[in-house]
Amino acid sequence: MWLYLLKRIALAIAIIAIAVALLFLMIRAVPGDPAAVLLGPRATPEMNAQLHEQMGLDKPFIVQIATFFGGLLHGDLGFDVFSQRPVADIIFEQLPFTLELILVSIFWAVVTAVPLGCYSAMRRNSLVDQVAGVVTVAAIAIPSFVVAVYALLIFAVTLRWLPAIGAGNGFWDGLIHLILPSFAIGIGWVGYISRLVRASMLEILGENHVRMARSFGISEWRVVARYALPLAILPTVTILGVGIAWLLSSAVFIEVVFARPGIGALIVNAVNSRNYPIVMGTVLVTTFLIVAATTISDLVNAFLDPRTREKL
Amino acid sequence: MKDIVDPLSRRAFLKTGATLAGGIVAAGMPLSQAIWAAEGKVLKARSTIDPKTFDPGFYNYSHEVDVMDCIYSKLTRYKPGSEWGWELEAAEKIEQVDPTHIRFRLKKGIKFTGGHGELTARDVKFSFERVIKNNSPVKVDWGSLDHVDVEDDYTGVIVLKSPFVPLWMVSLPFAVGHIVSEDAVIKATKDGGTFGTKPPAFSGPYVLADWKPKQYVVLARNPEWSGPKPGFDEIRILPIEDAKAAERAYQAGDVDFTSISLDSLATFKNNPPVDTKVEEYQTLNFNWLGMNLDHPKLKDVNVRKAIQWAINVPQILDAAYSGQAAPATGIIPPGIVGHRDKGLVPPEGDVEKAKEFLKKAGVADLALAIDCTNDSTYSTIAQTVQAQLSQIGISLEINLQDPGSFWTLGMESEGERWKDLQLILTDYGALPDPYYMTSWFVQAQVGIWNWERFRSERYDQLAGEAVTIDDPNVRAKLYHEMQDLMEDSGAYRFLTHRGEPIVYRATRMQAVTRPDGYPLYPDFMAV
Repeated sequence: MWLYLLKRIALAIAIIAIAVALLFLMIRAVPGDPAAVLLGPRATPEMNAQLHEQMGLDKPFIVQIATFFGGLLHGDLGFDVFSQRPVADIIFEQLPFTLELILVSIFWAVVTAVPLGCYSAMRRNSLVDQVAGVVTVAAIAIPSFVVAVYALLIFAVTLRWLPAIGAGNGFWDGLIHLILPSFAIGIGWVGYISRLVRASMLEILGENHVRMARSFGISEWRVVARYALPLAILPTVTILGVGIAWLLSSAVFIEVVFARPGIGALIVNAVNSRNYPIVMGTVLVTTFLIVAATTISDLVNAFLDPRTREKL
Repeated sequence: MKDIVDPLSRRAFLKTGATLAGGIVAAGMPLSQAIWAAEGKVLKARSTIDPKTFDPGFYNYSHEVDVMDCIYSKLTRYKPGSEWGWELEAAEKIEQVDPTHIRFRLKKGIKFTGGHGELTARDVKFSFERVIKNNSPVKVDWGSLDHVDVEDDYTGVIVLKSPFVPLWMVSLPFAVGHIVSEDAVIKATKDGGTFGTKPPAFSGPYVLADWKPKQYVVLARNPEWSGPKPGFDEIRILPIEDAKAAERAYQAGDVDFTSISLDSLATFKNNPPVDTKVEEYQTLNFNWLGMNLDHPKLKDVNVRKAIQWAINVPQILDAAYSGQAAPATGIIPPGIVGHRDKGLVPPEGDVEKAKEFLKKAGVADLALAIDCTNDSTYSTIAQTVQAQLSQIGISLEINLQDPGSFWTLGMESEGERWKDLQLILTDYGALPDPYYMTSWFVQAQVGIWNWERFRSERYDQLAGEAVTIDDPNVRAKLYHEMQDLMEDSGAYRFLTHRGEPIVYRATRMQAVTRPDGYPLYPDFMAV
């Protein structure tokens, strides 16, 4: 296990280093100059040159990347081109908003979808199963930003039950501001996870150990919860690891629609303005989160499934 | 693996996991204790940008100045209303002594917060000169400023190297004209450089009470302010970049003042939300289609004129702005010195005339490319131009670029891409003086911001002369001629200055703006 953990950590470091190095190459391969965007039409060539020097853009590529990784070892991600604030400060101001959005979305999706998937599997082809099937597939098919816009128009603009924009202040206000965005992001996952759980559950419910449990007279709900679900949930756990990664990149739409702070919009704006330090910092952090999420999902799988454990 | 797992049951693991997840969620919540004070009259307004600085000497965006107007004083300010002009603010008197000297006398009793004393002529000198000394990106706003002479605590003289008429409408009433405390800034920065997002002292009707990036700016009344009492106790400015999100926020009651998109204007006018007032303004921006004079395919003036005449501007504005923007006659908008009543080419153009020009050029099966940013408005404009040029047999390839790439296209310092540039859709922002709009098209700007590579000795001569002339009528004639020269070169097809519609809840406020719709928050009146 320790060896496995060490391997995963080494792999994670390698993935992060490769991702950041690739991005470093890509962002410099495309045309564009942060100095031009920052200084705008008012800049003189001397001012452009001065900013290039300040950002280290006048140095050879290899020196730039070495400086970046060197700074990283000291926890220094550089400074934002526009505000001259430390990149780490900016990212860690925005990151909690994206994380809370993702975690709350996933949380409510799991809490809703897992029982729904189990129930559908237990009552296969019943009316509830059929209705759930239609609704969940529809939920998967509708893009989250479409849900976001209509949810906003209904619950914020027409009914005025919920706020339309922002992230709120304090715990409860923050939670209220999360309802619509997390609904918009999570609804597709409810469909996806419930279909996955249903399919896995149907497979598990037909296996020998479940039939044996039933033959002992154990109640159906207990059979499902105790013997079937821990195995049926495994694909979902794996998918959630990847899902968090996917959500990190797709949160930008929701952040724009709901004018929420977060790193999604931060990355897009930074790429458009060639704000290299912010781009590098955010990609570093999101790559780390993606690697962490997938590693955690693998470990959770190992905890839940003794067969996986044996293979480690 | 087994040795680690065994002591922890699956149930315990799941319980711990759930607790941890809850903890992470809670830790991530914005648990700021800086809850807005909900007492008193509060103005909730939307800004299109998230401020990156509160330092007026180093501003990035015009909308950052909306906040600066509230927290600092300046000698003069823009007159609210529908006509451009200025009026006194911190200055009791200001006069042009001669073309290069402007004497001012400050009002007494304007205090800086934080015990930094009274606003004096020394602070004026410091504020203006630091922009130049620290090589601020916006030092060009100060034109030919040399230095400021201090005569006594309240009197000083602004000394210019050469006459610079735009000082009255660009330098003094806008960003770089704001006065900061020398004492406070030196203590905060040592060298008088930028203090970024941490203003060390305030001298306006409001103070910056709280700022959370990408969330809000909260301004509260300045207890030491001795001037006219502003209408609201508190101003909350929410950064909402997307216009549609802002419109929904307004409809949901989350903001009470916002600009809206032009394509929503008709909806808001025909079916306004309850108690809403809709007002329309024209921006100072100018939007045009440019042609690279140095490109082999565009070297013949007849080809360029064919393109000019083939373009029907009202059709473009119908498609891109739902017909809610007016055609431009040049780069100087109405209300600004030098605005032309009409251009050389009528907005509708003339396809037959365009064909004649093309015939004269002896060109057939011409294939061109147009570059623009990748937002929906510009791609719509490009597609409409594509359809219009096809009527005279020119095929057009559209190259959509992200802003970071687009804004370096014509720069010689950024490689060879300028050589391939053919047609360009561009939009520049401006300040209310023709100097600001015309300065990008001089020969010195070729390969920097003059992407059409337009060269005219006469234009340069007029540009130099126009900033020294006080008489607006004489000055206007010069700017008319400069725009004629631009248009006659065939390198420009002027499209629009767009529009800036705003909406606000009339039951809560009377909004007060500049002629281009920019809010003057200290003048907003609570209802």
